[in-house]
Amino acid sequence: MSVRKGLTSLVGVSLLLAVLAHFNTSLGVAPYLLVLATSVLFWVIQATSWNILSGYAGYFSFGQAAYVGIGAYAVAVLTGRHGVSYPVSIVVGGLLGALLALITGAIAFRLGSLRGEIFALLTLAVPFILAAFVRINRDIDGGLGTTLPLPAFPDWIGDFQHLIFLLMLAAATLAVGTALAVQRSRLGRGLSAIHDNEDAAEVLGVPTFRYKMIAIVLSGALGGLGGALLAVRNGAVQPELVFTLTVPLFVIVMAVLGGRRHWAGPVVGAAFVTVLQDELAAQKLDQWGNIILGGVLVVFVVAAPDGLFGRLRARPWLTVGVFVPVLAGLVLSGQYTELDALLYAMVAAIVVAVVVDRLRPVAASHPVPSRTTAAGTPPAVRTAPPPLSAPQPDSGRDLVAVAGLIRDFGGVRALDDVSLSVGQGEIVGLVGPNGSGKTTLVNLLSGALPPSAGTIAIDGRATVGLAPHKVAHTGVARTYQIPKPFASMTVLDNVAMAVMFGRTGASLPAARRAAADHLATVRLEHLAGQLPAALNLHQRQLLEMARAIAAEPVVLLLDEALAGLNPAEIDDAVAVIRRIHEGGISIIIVEHLLRVLNQLATRIVVLDRGVLIADGEPATVLNDPAVVRAYLGRQRA
Amino acid sequence: MTAVQAALSGALIGGLYALMAAGLSVTWGTLRVINLAHFGLILVGAYLSYQLTSAWGIDPMLTLLVSAPALFVVGAGLQWAYDRFNIVEFNSLLVSFGLLMIIIEVSTQVWTADFRHIDAGANPYGTSALHLGPIALPVSRLVALGFALLLMGGGHLVLERTFAGRGLRAFAQDRTVAASFGIDHRRLGLVVGGLAGVSAAVAGMVFALGNTIAPAHAYEWFGTVFAVVILGGIGNLLGSLFAGLGVGAFSAVVAVLWDPSYEPFVLFLAIILALVLRPQGLFTRRAAA
Repeated sequence: MSVRKGLTSLVGVSLLLAVLAHFNTSLGVAPYLLVLATSVLFWVIQATSWNILSGYAGYFSFGQAAYVGIGAYAVAVLTGRHGVSYPVSIVVGGLLGALLALITGAIAFRLGSLRGEIFALLTLAVPFILAAFVRINRDIDGGLGTTLPLPAFPDWIGDFQHLIFLLMLAAATLAVGTALAVQRSRLGRGLSAIHDNEDAAEVLGVPTFRYKMIAIVLSGALGGLGGALLAVRNGAVQPELVFTLTVPLFVIVMAVLGGRRHWAGPVVGAAFVTVLQDELAAQKLDQWGNIILGGVLVVFVVAAPDGLFGRLRARPWLTVGVFVPVLAGLVLSGQYTELDALLYAMVAAIVVAVVVDRLRPVAASHPVPSRTTAAGTPPAVRTAPPPLSAPQPDSGRDLVAVAGLIRDFGGVRALDDVSLSVGQGEIVGLVGPNGSGKTTLVNLLSGALPPSAGTIAIDGRATVGLAPHKVAHTGVARTYQIPKPFASMTVLDNVAMAVMFGRTGASLPAARRAAADHLATVRLEHLAGQLPAALNLHQRQLLEMARAIAAEPVVLLLDEALAGLNPAEIDDAVAVIRRIHEGGISIIIVEHLLRVLNQLATRIVVLDRGVLIADGEPATVLNDPAVVRAYLGRQRA
Repeated sequence: MTAVQAALSGALIGGLYALMAAGLSVTWGTLRVINLAHFGLILVGAYLSYQLTSAWGIDPMLTLLVSAPALFVVGAGLQWAYDRFNIVEFNSLLVSFGLLMIIIEVSTQVWTADFRHIDAGANPYGTSALHLGPIALPVSRLVALGFALLLMGGGHLVLERTFAGRGLRAFAQDRTVAASFGIDHRRLGLVVGGLAGVSAAVAGMVFALGNTIAPAHAYEWFGTVFAVVILGGIGNLLGSLFAGLGVGAFSAVVAVLWDPSYEPFVLFLAIILALVLRPQGLFTRRAAA
């Protein structure tokens, strides 16, 4: 389904809902249902807002209440105390939410070593600060909260309940539409890669900082807008009611329950949880509400971490087949209200979906591969790109030029004044004992770490100080010693990511076609539709290589790409490396197996305790007494 | 003088923050479980002390004889469940958030949302103070500091000096390698979870000595205690102790010199600043990579 088609259906559904709501009395729908529906829509906005950052990119926020609060207070202060018109104050509410998100993100995501848990706790602090700020500045809300005037609106809308329903519906449509568009866009693919493995995403060229900032600002704007509408609905604002931990609890439960990686997940979750809460209140069981919600959260994280929506979608007929008869049966029996019937039918469908999935876990858990294989190309037809005539080493043009490189970790000097150049068509073997600085050098070349001193130029462009994704765009690609695939994407899409975010960039369909070629180069085409979890170590290493060459680098850094492989696999991997080299890519390979390097490398560079001690022809270097000493230790007389 | 008085008595409250942070910090640092339910255990510890003191009229400190073993079992049970379902880091944050909700709601059902406090007659520590010249130090807070020094100093020594402590630190760094060297993480985990429960019992008891108790308190502790854990360095008990004292003194001075309502504002701004400048914690040495 294309983005446009999805958005069209979304708007259609919203218009239908709006018409239904407008004629609710003539249709015999209880006015009370309109109030409940407005509530559901408010939570759809909040859960969707939360999901755009926390679900797609995996940065969990406990700070949703901050957006709700700042939006609500924008309306309370501007309209309630200064008489500004509602449309203006509501828009300002959304803008302030975006601004708050911008500040939070600028602080949080600038921290290089920020871990997800720290982000979660940092966001936890934001609502506390805002609530304290409101309490300090009594003149913001007059000390006891602010009441709001009833908005003026044209008669054809109906009464106030209709107005607020329509406003919430419009905002929810905007929120869900945004989430849908983001999910289907480059941004969404990038956020998904950040969720799976942020380091790998960045070195493949995903501008992770910018993407996270866009996501958090969208999230803040939608959250603030929803908060502003909440103030209009409630007609009063108090710090205790908007800056409460119930807000993050609700949105997290809704998104986890519904599913975090699809736009529809939070919608399903918000509808279910809100109706459930309402039902509990109606049964005078509201004190059990939070206990049940807490329990649902625990059970779902343990039993169905991918959420309900995925389960329901994997078996749509079963879901509909349970939901519709149960709903019809309960309504026709006449013993239940429509709402009760709806709730019980939802519970029945959910229970069946979860239980069936528990019984047959394998069948439904990977709905993706079959679809992608169908969309991808038949593997057998395509062959590797025609090998170019093996390029001859040409040291006239330096693809990598490193001078005076120093890197300190605390008091330890991992690299000491290393200078090195790699020319077109070379395969340079980088060897040295453990701890000699090989991986540090790879990290500096790929931009993952900044040097303490010295210069690096890739293909003539200085890279020191560039973000890793910019370094990647100068023409460096790397593999990791421990493969870091994107776990939620198929093998084909892992490679397609690298094409999409590589130097030339491409749309997803074009990227998938190119990815199939790269998979053929490493002979993994038969596994294109699998998830990385199904691959063995050797295949994952090959996937790392396919992903790296898909970025169309001029120089490829292979960090111990042969570690842990058996002899047959090593021969296979060596053949792949040769093919990559014949495709015109220069290679720097970190490797301990000197036998392999002896065959493969055109040159060998030796590091010992951070110092470059030899650089030259394999045969010469490997017989150099200093090198032998570094490897085997000084011979004691 | 008021500032000195405030700083000192604030630092003593900081002893309580440190006690609350201890269990959280250790399970996060060694077992990679961010156990929000710990706040619920502290709450239950406080209520148990209140309940037993009211029912039997015993010294509040003696209630630890019941509440500490009880919460040891609960803490170990929680850790067993986290381990059984392989719940760490993010998921532990979510799961324990759900558990915390449940504990708080159940506490509300049992003890109502009203403020409870230990009857003055049964609480010899509640109102008395130690006078050093012009400075008055409430006894209940001295108790908090005493327990904090005892538990966290002791815990630090155990982690640094004993085989089990080294095993735990090894486990924290690399589970697989530690396991292959014969470290039984399950048993160690149960003990650590249980001891975290004991620290919650102590923190709850100390809280009940000097404060009224209500379920909503569990949320109010959130911010400050996490600040202490992060500033102290995750898993670093001595760091948490210093961070607790510092945070307590800092908030109290702000409250006295400025306005009590500024306290959370300034405190959280300070935390964010600290996170930006030293995300690894104030009291951790920068590890050489």
